Amino acid sequence: MEDILEQITTCIEFGKINKAAPYPPNMKDQDGADELTKQALEQGVKAETILKQALITGMDRVGKKFSEKKIFIPQMLMSAKAMNAAIEHLKPFFTSGEIQRKGKFILATVQGDLHDIGKNLVKMAIEGSGWEVIDLGTDVKSEKIIASLAENPDAKVGLSALLTTTMQNMKDIVQNVKSHYPHNEILIGGAPVTEDFRKQIGADFYSPDPQGAVAYLNQ
Amino acid sequence: MTGKERVVKSFQLGNSDRIPWVPFVGCHAGKLLNINATSFLQSENNIVEGISKAIEIYKPDGIPVMFDLQVEAEALGCNLIWAEDNPPAVVSHVLSEGVKLQDLKIPSNKEGRIPLILNATKKLRSNFPDIALYGLITGPFTLALHLMGTDIFMKMMESPDEVTELLEFTKKVGEAMAGYYIDAGCDIIAVVDPMTSQIDPGSFEMFVTQPATEIFQIIRDKGALSSFFVCGHAQQNIEAMCACRPDNISIDENIPLDFVGKIALKHNISFGGNMKLTVVLLMGTPEDAQREAMECMDLGGKKGFILAPGCDLPMDTPIENLQAVTSLVQDPYLQDIVRAMEKSEVDLDLLNMKDYGKAGKIIVDIITLDSESCAPCQYMVEAVKNIAPHFEGIVEWREHAIKRMESVTFMNSLMVKNIPTICIDGKIAFVSKIPPKHELIAAIQQRINEKLKLIISSHKAEILIIGNNAEECKQIKNNVDTAIKETGKNIKLSVSYEEKTRLIYGVAITPAVILTEHKLKTQGEIPKVDIIKEWLKDL
Repeated sequence: MEDILEQITTCIEFGKINKAAPYPPNMKDQDGADELTKQALEQGVKAETILKQALITGMDRVGKKFSEKKIFIPQMLMSAKAMNAAIEHLKPFFTSGEIQRKGKFILATVQGDLHDIGKNLVKMAIEGSGWEVIDLGTDVKSEKIIASLAENPDAKVGLSALLTTTMQNMKDIVQNVKSHYPHNEILIGGAPVTEDFRKQIGADFYSPDPQGAVAYLNQ
Repeated sequence: MTGKERVVKSFQLGNSDRIPWVPFVGCHAGKLLNINATSFLQSENNIVEGISKAIEIYKPDGIPVMFDLQVEAEALGCNLIWAEDNPPAVVSHVLSEGVKLQDLKIPSNKEGRIPLILNATKKLRSNFPDIALYGLITGPFTLALHLMGTDIFMKMMESPDEVTELLEFTKKVGEAMAGYYIDAGCDIIAVVDPMTSQIDPGSFEMFVTQPATEIFQIIRDKGALSSFFVCGHAQQNIEAMCACRPDNISIDENIPLDFVGKIALKHNISFGGNMKLTVVLLMGTPEDAQREAMECMDLGGKKGFILAPGCDLPMDTPIENLQAVTSLVQDPYLQDIVRAMEKSEVDLDLLNMKDYGKAGKIIVDIITLDSESCAPCQYMVEAVKNIAPHFEGIVEWREHAIKRMESVTFMNSLMVKNIPTICIDGKIAFVSKIPPKHELIAAIQQRINEKLKLIISSHKAEILIIGNNAEECKQIKNNVDTAIKETGKNIKLSVSYEEKTRLIYGVAITPAVILTEHKLKTQGEIPKVDIIKEWLKDL
């Protein structure tokens, strides 16, 4: 069992999706995250064990390498794809309640901003660490976030912005959401966002990379 | 030296008279015309008018004609969505919507907004022959991403040949665009490729190095200069960018300027940047902008450095923040001041200045950088020195050169913001300008008069004699009159025979004498409760 879990972890770490995937070249024609997860379940490994010991461990390695700038977006996206292939097999166990999530995380790119690469990377990292992510998409107004918090009152919120001008919208959204839900933590990120800016707008946490957000949520 | 000569010299790593200043004014020029980004970026006249206005108020050495990385994508069929205060965003990626790469054609100079930019370039060229004009083209990787969407990141892994082929096409687009801009009169072609910050050096070398190198070679062959702009965390790729042989590299605040400078100069490439766009230029004050510019200039140094914002200026950047940078760049003396003032950033305990200037003498403080090395400071000190003999024994003067820490504390305590400044009895009197002799004398004389008035009026008093009748008070009144006359004091004397008055003062046996002293404490201001309480303690 140890073996197959380590194999899944390696597939996620290096972005090996399935047997047919050509990437990475040194794992050509080997089983990927897709096949191995299916096999593990067939062998009777518990879904929760696969999530915790293979997927979360794999994403943890990916996240660390990303924040250490050893890998970049292309590699991270390949890992995300591999993880999604594995998660597909675990979905029924989430629905049945056999696997418990750590909590809910509402995620959005702020109003006026259509960029979603950063948001999607964060989504993958946080999902991969065992949280349920509610993805509100891009160009999201504060009303939509407030409505989502009404349905998920314990959720934490993540906001992304890529443009300097939409940073202003981020500020308005944080203030608006905080005026309704002062105790729900808001995490922010995006290329122009800084720790100074976080302090200015009263958000709870800033991280320059997804791994920082994962570490914060799981602390 | 003209601005253009200055920029060119810096690009060639030669000596210029000062660091060149190139504000990346894009849709910010729309703000200067009070129109939105959409109207600005779609009109030849607005571009010409807006950039002309920016040249007038920011006095740059170089400026981009247009900062919009969506021009090529739009000409190639991608849909844009337009915004009020931002360049447009690409919302559809032709290659992910069924269009084949072989069906895409290199845009001619008649397509999309290209002709209006070229016409604007020609007009600006003829109106401003002495300013370096930058033509901005979308870098090959960023354009590829516009055309293919974010799938490109996975395609780089899953079908690298497809991505290489796409970059070969975007390179040709870049070469064509560079040619159009050079022919229209641009001096410098900036290849703006921000999305390369998202990839590793290995991927950069595999996909970007060759197309970028070829674009820079074409620019060189056409006799123009080139710059490679990136924004974001592109630290890992700086070496690889230099290897593409641009003449200049420009980066934003995510990468330390000294780090880039070191690598670029090692490759004999000039560099530029990286003033903080949002926290400083957009949200800060003119003083913040000057401190930031100074820090960049000191890190960048004189050789091969161009002062610029990290990227396209946010539309709403306050005009005064950029003007503050302009005045700093042009004025070495102001640079010395800003450097010295940086010290005052450290949290200093302010001196309690409440009682400053209440002494008998008049105190004149001159806050300077250092009168020995700064000419305006020297003249200001001399101006004070020259009039001092007129007030011998009455006026004391001191110089506070803020090269010393205690002087910085003193300056902050007096709330002085400019150098040099003259304060009289702790109040700011002359800021930055050397007062003519008569003005300085008049200012000091005015303060002397104020103090004298204060002294005289503080001696005002009243004497009240209380008795039953005139007979009873006669002798006392005579004695008080004599005493007042003999001492020459300004005292009002009155006599009251009323019982009510006796009761008010609690007089049991008459005749009685009441002395009331009037002391002027403040005038022309509202004293705080705490201060009034202090006075009351004396009663």
